[in-house]
Amino acid sequence: MKRTPENCPQVLSALFDVTDGHTMSVAAEHGAYSRLETGAGARIFGRSQFEIIEDVFASGIRGRGGAGFPTGMKWRFVPRNGEKPVYLVINADEGEPGTFKDHFIMDRDPHSLIEGMIIAGYALGVRTAYIFVRGEMLPQIRRLNSALQEAYEAGFLGENIKGTGYNLDIYVHRGAGAYICGEETALINALEGCKGQPRLKPPFPAISGAFESPTVVNNVETIAALPWIFEHGPAAYKALGTSMSPGTKLFSISGDVAKPGVYEIPLGMPMKEFFDLAGGVVGDLAGCIPGGSSSPVLSSDECDDATMDYECMKELGTMLGSGAVMPFNTTRDPVLMLQTLTRFYSHESCGQCTPCREGTGYADRVVDAVVAGKGRMGDVEFIQDLADQFEWTTICPLATADAWAIGGFLKKFRSYFDAYLDKSDEKDAGRDVASLQPGGFW
Amino acid sequence: MTDKIQITIDGEEHSVTPGQQLIQALWEAGVDTPNFCYHEDLSIAGNCRICLAEVEGPRGWGLMISCHMPIRPGMNVRTQRSSEKVVNARKGVMEFQLVNHPLDCPICDKAGECKLQEHYMSDGRGESRMRDDIGKQYAGGPDHQSCDRKGQTRGGKHIDLGDRVLLDQERCISCSRCVRFMREVAGDEQLELASRGDHTYITTFPGEKLDHEYDLCTTDVCPVGALTGKHFRFQQRVWFLKKTNSIVPDDSLGANITIDYNEGQREGAPEYGVYRLMPRRNPDVNKSWLHNDSRMLYTQLTENRLTEGLKHGEPCSLAEANTAMSAALASAKKIAIVASGHATNEDNAAVLALLEKLGDRAELFGGSWLAVGEGDGIARSGDPVANRRGCELLAIPDNLDQLCERVAEFDCLLTVGHDLWAADAEKAVALEGISERLVFSAWKDATASRATVAMGVRAWAEVRGTMVNCNDRIQMLQACPICPNDELMSIWEAVSELSGVEWDSAAAWKAVKARVPQLADVSYRSIGALGQQLVSEAAVAASAESAEV
Repeated sequence: MKRTPENCPQVLSALFDVTDGHTMSVAAEHGAYSRLETGAGARIFGRSQFEIIEDVFASGIRGRGGAGFPTGMKWRFVPRNGEKPVYLVINADEGEPGTFKDHFIMDRDPHSLIEGMIIAGYALGVRTAYIFVRGEMLPQIRRLNSALQEAYEAGFLGENIKGTGYNLDIYVHRGAGAYICGEETALINALEGCKGQPRLKPPFPAISGAFESPTVVNNVETIAALPWIFEHGPAAYKALGTSMSPGTKLFSISGDVAKPGVYEIPLGMPMKEFFDLAGGVVGDLAGCIPGGSSSPVLSSDECDDATMDYECMKELGTMLGSGAVMPFNTTRDPVLMLQTLTRFYSHESCGQCTPCREGTGYADRVVDAVVAGKGRMGDVEFIQDLADQFEWTTICPLATADAWAIGGFLKKFRSYFDAYLDKSDEKDAGRDVASLQPGGFW
Repeated sequence: MTDKIQITIDGEEHSVTPGQQLIQALWEAGVDTPNFCYHEDLSIAGNCRICLAEVEGPRGWGLMISCHMPIRPGMNVRTQRSSEKVVNARKGVMEFQLVNHPLDCPICDKAGECKLQEHYMSDGRGESRMRDDIGKQYAGGPDHQSCDRKGQTRGGKHIDLGDRVLLDQERCISCSRCVRFMREVAGDEQLELASRGDHTYITTFPGEKLDHEYDLCTTDVCPVGALTGKHFRFQQRVWFLKKTNSIVPDDSLGANITIDYNEGQREGAPEYGVYRLMPRRNPDVNKSWLHNDSRMLYTQLTENRLTEGLKHGEPCSLAEANTAMSAALASAKKIAIVASGHATNEDNAAVLALLEKLGDRAELFGGSWLAVGEGDGIARSGDPVANRRGCELLAIPDNLDQLCERVAEFDCLLTVGHDLWAADAEKAVALEGISERLVFSAWKDATASRATVAMGVRAWAEVRGTMVNCNDRIQMLQACPICPNDELMSIWEAVSELSGVEWDSAAAWKAVKARVPQLADVSYRSIGALGQQLVSEAAVAASAESAEV
């Protein structure tokens, strides 16, 4: 299967279509763990931690979990030579609707992740690292565990790795499958055995995270790209993609395309070309969710000029997110799509903050009423107003993501909602909520 | 004292105490800021989001919760007074809080002191956008959920959490205060927020009960009517209650309380009396906490009271009792006077004055047979003799056991505000060897029933006076007008009448001050509501010396 466009190196997906690529022997043939050689010309061991962090910074790689924060920058924040241990936690709680890239890596190339973790662990002075995997991904957890066992047996993990004196243990932690545990502080809480609820920040995890120690939380894809970066050098990685969004990224495309799946493309590729790579859009394109359910939807007009990088998406008022691209054609009903999303967010709200706990459910029930033919005129404004009330008013961005999803659909597919309201039995019932002025009692 | 720092609130400069969160600084500056989850004596949860304010940061103005925003000099803040954004954000939070709240205020015990009510009036939307056809999702656990006739999920009501506390799950706003109280203060995690999203509900662990010496404090920290104490359930609407500041009389830490009473129409009216004791925040003494046993002390104010005199167990008037006591004292050859650590300093000063008047015929005894326990580090020292330190300052000896040995020397015993027989009946039996036994007591207790003459006095909630706690802090009890008999006197009044001088309140306090050098700079006014830390004896001596030099 063709996963990359012409002239694009396979940074992450090289082993995806190799038979038994997940085993140590096959992976080693393709160069796995070759970066960990010692002696003359050693690329990792033997160099200073500082140099490695600066190499990662120079490669310009940005966090692939959704926010796109520069990884080298994040690593620089970690206090050096503190009294507390530093923990590395890999976020493999891939829960964003539409995203299925990380489980490809764990399934088909777990050794790239483990090698990346050894590199990151060495650079950050980590003794213990965790891979926090979404509970439902049982086959991937088994793959990871057998890959870890192979790595331990080959001497890449454990005490005194390859005679360098560096020690690293990696544990796979199986989460309980909550979407919110993809938020790094909720993930840390869950890792500690607490309820998976985001923590108040500051302190940020880089200062006080897991077990009150400095903790770096990185996405699977970010770490899995490290072996390639240290094989070919940071300059080669930075040469890929655009100047602000360097490198390649895995995109999991689903929806109305002929060949949905995981593709690796250089950042900055026009969206239309990407659709073509995935077999082309089936039917007439109506719109596209560009980066997982949290990112505001794009209309088909916006898709025409969009490129797949962080900057362009920001300009369009949306985001690249986790790289879950979901184009849909004109036969789909955006109202039902929004209903699915609002239901998802209200179900996944952790219940901590008031606006999210109550607001996402409330908005969902209003959308339900619209779908059920019980909407009233002004409900579009009402839903939007509710969304505005829980945007950016909570500890973590879950409610904000819901607000963005709602805002995107209401703005770009307004006519579909109006059509529902026109058919509603109760469209003129009650008061016109949009015209209500906030005010006092008297 | 640390220097104040300057912050800008709504364009005005304010100087506030450093090292606190913004919400405290706003309160200090006189800006009303609503709060549900924030509690000064608990950790910060930051989840109710009602205290949002706009703060200027490196990336411009942003909404921040003021309970988790340490203040720094030069900080620029906008509150509801100048920012429409803050007003709207709070309206939003209030609307959401009430989406799944049952609004059963008419039958809710918290109504009148409910934060939801208060903040809805100050920060709410005013006009509801709720619709009948949009189902609610009231919080509640699966064991207690039901479905109402509108098809809405209802949470459980009056769920029995333990012996003292009831839970109303659908009123809960998930602020997690009670969970944090049990975890951080009580140190025994018995409550937990189960499930998530708008299904979140408070519960105990399966098969477990809420059972802790401080569990009624969860009803205090609950900002709504979700947790209520059984003792106060449906007893009284809080707006009929008046509050008097006082301290608990059963522990030497002297936890600060308010006595919540209803004056009714006066005695005899059905609503007349004390309905509850509530902890009163004092950061240096009991923070915001109160032991369950102390909290239930109000029940003894109406039980088994001695409202008149007793002569050999037969009721008599107060005047008759007074006459009989004077006669007994006049005719006695040798009198043992037992002062009490349960009485106020004023009471004990009156006892000392009586002792001096009786001269050689009288001897002073003091102390207690009550067992002293361990402090719990929350709101109890473990010592049930509340004013033990005050007795020490007044030089009242701790020698009750000696009295038992020397019973033969005395023909008259005067016990003041002290139930000796209840404290240790075996030791007290020896005292029955003294023929004339006079007692001042507020209750028909074991000591009063064995008295030849007993005289009723006012109880701790009905008197004004001072006590010194185990940490040398002088604190005040204030009088509630709920005395079962208006003719009852305080101990100091009754004792000073016996000694033939008629003291007023000022004279009683003056007599205390005259005997204790540490009280030189102390007045009722300086003690105030929160008490005053006394300087040590050494410091008093040193300053006296330097004055002489």
